[in-house]
Amino acid sequence: MAASTQGLAVRERSTLDTVRDALGTLVARYRADEVLTSVKHIPAREAQFRPMPGWVRPELAAAYRAKGIEQLYSHQAAAAELARAGKDFVVVTPTASGKTLCYNLPVLNAILEDTDTRALYLFPTKALAQDQLAELHGLATRLDDSFGVFTYDGDTPSDARKAIRERGHIILTNPDMLHTGILPHHTKWTRVFENLRYIVVDELHTYRGVFGSHLANVLRRVARIARFYGSHPQFICCSATIANPGELAAQLIEREVEVVEENGAPAAEKLFVFYNPPMVNRNLGIRRSYLNETTRVAKELLARKLQTIVFANSRLHTEVLLTYLQQANPPKPGAAEPIRGYRGGYLPGERREIERGLREGRVRGVVATNALELGIDIGSLDACVMAGYAGSIASTWQRAGRAGRRSGTSCAVLVASSAPLDQFIVQHPDYFFGRSPEHAYVQPDNLEILVNHLKCAAFELPIAPDDKFGVVDAQELCERLAEAGFLHRSGGNWHWVQEAYPADTVSLRSVTSDNFVIIHASAEDDGNTTGEKKGEPEVIGEVDFSSALTTVHPKAIYLHQGQQYHVDRLDFDQRKAYVRRVSVDYYTDAIRYTQVRVLEIAEEERIAGPAARAHGDVLVRSQVIGFKKIKFFTNENVGDGKLELPENEMHTTAFWITLERPLLESLPFALSDRQSGIFGLLYALESMATLLLMCDRRDLGTAVGERPPSPGVETEWHEYTTATDDPAKMKEFFEPNLYLYDAYPGGIGFSEPLYRVHDLLLRRTRELIAACPCENGCPSCVGPAGMKSERTKEAALAILDHLCA
Amino acid sequence: MSSIAQDRFARLAALRPARKSALSLDDQPRGILPEFPEGAGRLAELLGAAPQKNQFGEHLALRRWFSDPIGGESNLPAPEDKLDAAALRLLAPGAPDFVSDPREWLFLDTETTGLAGGTGTYPFLVGIAWWDAGGLEVEQFFMREQSEEHSLLVALAERMAERRVLVTFNGKSFDWPLLETRYRMTRTIKPPAPRAHLDFLHPARNLWRLRIGSVRLAELERQILGWNRGTDVMSELIPSIYFDYLRGGPAEPLVPIFHHNQMDLRGLAALATRILSLLGDPETHGQDALELFGVSRICERRGEAARARSLYQRSIASELPPETDRAARRSLARLAKREGDHELARGLWDGMLGDSREGLEAYEQLAIYYEHRAREPHRAAALARQALADLRKANRLGTIAPSAFRQQSTRFERRLARLERKAGRTLLDAPESKTDATP
Repeated sequence: MAASTQGLAVRERSTLDTVRDALGTLVARYRADEVLTSVKHIPAREAQFRPMPGWVRPELAAAYRAKGIEQLYSHQAAAAELARAGKDFVVVTPTASGKTLCYNLPVLNAILEDTDTRALYLFPTKALAQDQLAELHGLATRLDDSFGVFTYDGDTPSDARKAIRERGHIILTNPDMLHTGILPHHTKWTRVFENLRYIVVDELHTYRGVFGSHLANVLRRVARIARFYGSHPQFICCSATIANPGELAAQLIEREVEVVEENGAPAAEKLFVFYNPPMVNRNLGIRRSYLNETTRVAKELLARKLQTIVFANSRLHTEVLLTYLQQANPPKPGAAEPIRGYRGGYLPGERREIERGLREGRVRGVVATNALELGIDIGSLDACVMAGYAGSIASTWQRAGRAGRRSGTSCAVLVASSAPLDQFIVQHPDYFFGRSPEHAYVQPDNLEILVNHLKCAAFELPIAPDDKFGVVDAQELCERLAEAGFLHRSGGNWHWVQEAYPADTVSLRSVTSDNFVIIHASAEDDGNTTGEKKGEPEVIGEVDFSSALTTVHPKAIYLHQGQQYHVDRLDFDQRKAYVRRVSVDYYTDAIRYTQVRVLEIAEEERIAGPAARAHGDVLVRSQVIGFKKIKFFTNENVGDGKLELPENEMHTTAFWITLERPLLESLPFALSDRQSGIFGLLYALESMATLLLMCDRRDLGTAVGERPPSPGVETEWHEYTTATDDPAKMKEFFEPNLYLYDAYPGGIGFSEPLYRVHDLLLRRTRELIAACPCENGCPSCVGPAGMKSERTKEAALAILDHLCA
Repeated sequence: MSSIAQDRFARLAALRPARKSALSLDDQPRGILPEFPEGAGRLAELLGAAPQKNQFGEHLALRRWFSDPIGGESNLPAPEDKLDAAALRLLAPGAPDFVSDPREWLFLDTETTGLAGGTGTYPFLVGIAWWDAGGLEVEQFFMREQSEEHSLLVALAERMAERRVLVTFNGKSFDWPLLETRYRMTRTIKPPAPRAHLDFLHPARNLWRLRIGSVRLAELERQILGWNRGTDVMSELIPSIYFDYLRGGPAEPLVPIFHHNQMDLRGLAALATRILSLLGDPETHGQDALELFGVSRICERRGEAARARSLYQRSIASELPPETDRAARRSLARLAKREGDHELARGLWDGMLGDSREGLEAYEQLAIYYEHRAREPHRAAALARQALADLRKANRLGTIAPSAFRQQSTRFERRLARLERKAGRTLLDAPESKTDATP
């Protein structure tokens, strides 16, 4: 926490005036209020201090004092007291608020009081664990190395592992390693599990959706093993600001948790700017490229000697922006490159060097992916420019927090792309700056996920008759697993009876392990081959089952690390896609035919409209029937193709809105405009739902279908397709259901929350469409124009007016 | 479970290929000890085995005595008195004295439900053996159900307490850690603590891998001991045979696993005897140069330099295949250098120069020799240039990996540059291209 004195000379110049001057230059040619949709001044905040608690061991207090910490911020003190009282809790902390102390202080104090104490720290990435390791090593040195702290992950050399298990008081690891490397070998970790007193879950908000649902099950397994060794660890969680940290933590650890939400850390003054690239074609809603605009913004800031971090949302964009900025800022003769890139795929040594360069001020600018969003210590920068919305408010704040961590004035600039979320955010600053509306959801009882972890649990320890595993009847599931040949009951317990190691086939980052591998068949066509690796097939990546058919169908252009690959062949049975490197000026978009059948309605209610909302279990049947070739930049359709691929059926959960007949009949539109409006509305609903659920667009699927005649009655598949190019030619819907379904088998917990926030969803969707300056609909609101009717936007708004009445 | 969930589960199960159980578990009441698998009774009958009881329950136990471990031509009788202490020192330096007492030896081999290890792999059949009455006594413990594991582990612990030296083949990395895991999983039964553990996999690998490629026990028995097992179950099938039995399959397929385990133990006992006699007196018992080479490697690793040197020399004298010959010469040269016998080392290096790994090392070592010992930097530089020429040639012919070429070239270029600097003037009296053309 000691304030760094380096680079202060530079930082003093980063005054509000400098930033305002830069902004002035940027918008000189435009109408400022159209481009700068928000310039929010966030004043500095004073620290709220509390004294170091009396129970903290003197040597630990001295070690913190030596780091310049004499007293605690109020939230740190609250956390320390909760930890002391044995409570499970979650601390909500913005970037740079000293959150690591919230867990390190109580954990180290416990270790100093009783050297048998053990703690497990979970971080979502290896890099974060490395960063914490450095911090803890610093404390260990000040405490005469009275405790051992180690990272334990895939990079840990096997000859070091034994010593770590024996001597580590604090083990820093990640959920994946816990799942495949620690739990299945728990007998080697006897000492740790027997004395396990704390489990720290950092960056809790990252455990949502599929990953979070897996983590909840991994923690169920941890709880079983801890019970076996007679320990009952206490949970300390840290989360970025989200709307439901307590609920999320409670769902993940399956216990009541306390929430510490007030933040006592000081914050420096900050200017937060929303920059919407100027319109080029108002009709089509086309704006200037946000990448070019990001470059302009960053150049202005760098030119004013502000140390700047630029965030991009993909590796490709990182490289593009890096090239632009390096050209604009060449190194001085004999000096090192002042602008650097930082992303996954760089070697650890290189990363450390860049981090050091940033801290010491030698590196003036860095272009990064989200690899630099979490934790990693790079000191405080002056400015942060984001090329595109990070996908969630929490991530955006974390990125913005990279600038101005301690003192001085800093600025953060969000440059919006034309994606609906970006446009919504920059046009609704109140939404962004108000109380966080983002909820993180998990579904620990997703049957596919749960069953996979139940198998792992049986491998780790036979399942006893009184064993609990989530809400389901574990015994009944075990019987099923026995029938399928995975378990065998002996002496009342269920034992694992397979040669294979179940954790190996369960990835925490996807629902099923049924992945397609992508094989780069040959390097021969690369033109400039060196002859060294000629012709050797190479696995370049994996895609999960649900997205395989849309991303690696035959003739698809698959993008991997900025490189284009043409899919030559898809071997569906072997789950392999054979690709070849190409360079073309188009990408492909699969045409999918989707049908939804309602299986069971969980809840249903009539709403204004007249309409109805509902959520429940559905069967989604989809088939990729063709694809379109879309030209880069212009988005022209430059060709298409038909495909014959197997049909895919998925049992999942959905939220849906039924538009009743009187509502549709009251609309003053032609049939084709009305149909088009329905699809446009669904497109906008999906955008807004991903915002509220903190999820990705690919986590949700959409479909429109005729309402079943009577709920619960077995119905025929309805004749329609969401892929039809021209909604006007479609059969008329009598009472359509607009479905938003979880794009994962078994559902991942989005449907019920959507049902609950229904009103907010509709209201925000109306704002999104209404505030969009395009005339007839654009990708930022109701979807790309082209195929849709000219009155799409109007019709969608009219429907929403009825629904929100 | 709701009907929806059941439906989902049915689909889930259908997604994965799985063996259908012959025995439906649905009809059994919960929480009641189920019957043994159908084949359990029949198995005891087939094997003449009997249930053994202790405070933790029951398991099946079986004993057999073999007049000599593997019989036949190899004729390796059970040791009567003390084992060769010198040979044992090579195998397990620092082991307590009683390792040379054959009455302390306990051979162990397990049959398991998988090779993955971890907490979900069960050693369903544990075989142990010891020398007795001039032959080999084999005892096997079998769990008719996983619930019999505790009783099996107690019985094994009792036997292990009687003999202090554990003897295995690959047991150091597989069987024993697995058993330790099983003991820990009981939380009640104290794991036995063998005072010494001899594992014969690594010695066997050192001695014979070069000759027979494989170090599978059955292969060693056939090629080294001249004993053919005859029909034997394939190891890969063992877990699924046991699983089939658990699910109500017949007992007959299990019988060959018991035989397999017995043969593993007998083969291990015979192999151990053979390795001990070879290490004790390689000059008499060594069958060929490769075995001598293997013994020398073991000696070298254990720091018995003098013995290693003489054995390397003997193995080189009795015609090794070219690759092994180079390896033997390199090791011998290293030993000679370490002991200050620079002339012997120089002679060996002189004869090895070339583009092989050992040949390049010889270039380097000779260059060091001429630079620092003989103080003839010109010769050292000439050697470095010659090495570079050899490397370039090998690169043109494609007989060296590109990465190795780059790495080695850099080394010799640096050496050459340093020698030049040291000499204070250029040593490159011939243009690069000329050196390159030298054959």
